[in-house]
Amino acid sequence: MKRPTLILIAGLVAAVAAYCGIYHAGTANCCRMEQGHAPELAWLKQEFHLSAAEFTRISQMHEQYLAGCAERCHRIDLKNQALAQLLTVTNAITPEIEKALTESALLRAECQKKMLQHFYDVSRTMPPEQGQRYLAWVQSKTVLSDSHSQMHH
Amino acid sequence: MKPENPTQSDAALRQVLHQWKVDINLPPRFQEQIWRRIERSEPQPQVPGWLLLIHRFATAMAHPSLAVSYVTILTVAGLLAGYWQARVTRAHLDETLSSRYVQMLDPYQDSPH
Repeated sequence: MKRPTLILIAGLVAAVAAYCGIYHAGTANCCRMEQGHAPELAWLKQEFHLSAAEFTRISQMHEQYLAGCAERCHRIDLKNQALAQLLTVTNAITPEIEKALTESALLRAECQKKMLQHFYDVSRTMPPEQGQRYLAWVQSKTVLSDSHSQMHH
Repeated sequence: MKPENPTQSDAALRQVLHQWKVDINLPPRFQEQIWRRIERSEPQPQVPGWLLLIHRFATAMAHPSLAVSYVTILTVAGLLAGYWQARVTRAHLDETLSSRYVQMLDPYQDSPH
């Protein structure tokens, strides 16, 4: 093989090897995190620089919150089904509909209260500076986000 | 200046050329060299651009300093591209996981409720 051809191939191989090497080195941590047990919590740990003890505590709080959240979501779904049933049989706001709407709103308010309480608990478990940052971030994504112009959850 | 009678002038020229004798010996392979010069003077066929590029690359790679520069530049380009792509991938994953975390805490966030 001619020397220029060898140099051409060597250059291309060096470029590809450099690309793959730096890409792999730069994303190895992300891949491990994504393939782990709870990638969302692993992300939280990395993003807010949590220690192992803080992470364990926050993971426990997270599990407890999710268990309560699932139960509240179920109650909301039942309430929605009941409301839908009432709406199909009338074209006016009956006292039953009014009651169902109020109960649904109360449930959503309760969910928001629990969620906010969870945010405060989590932020207090973090180092103060990270806790403040977490609180500002998570509130902007949930209770203060534009999509929350109406009450959700 | 035009000659007065071209026919007489041509005849005189022919006579002089007939009488002209070359006394010197021709250099070796004189005829072959003449044909080569004729070949070189003829217009060359159009070479495709990519072939010309390869030829120029091959010529440049004959110089060790240029060859080293070429490999170095490609390696650095590969490093930069890999670094940039890794950053994009990390940012994308961060965005995805943070959204999933929020969605877990607030499942009704984006759905009309």
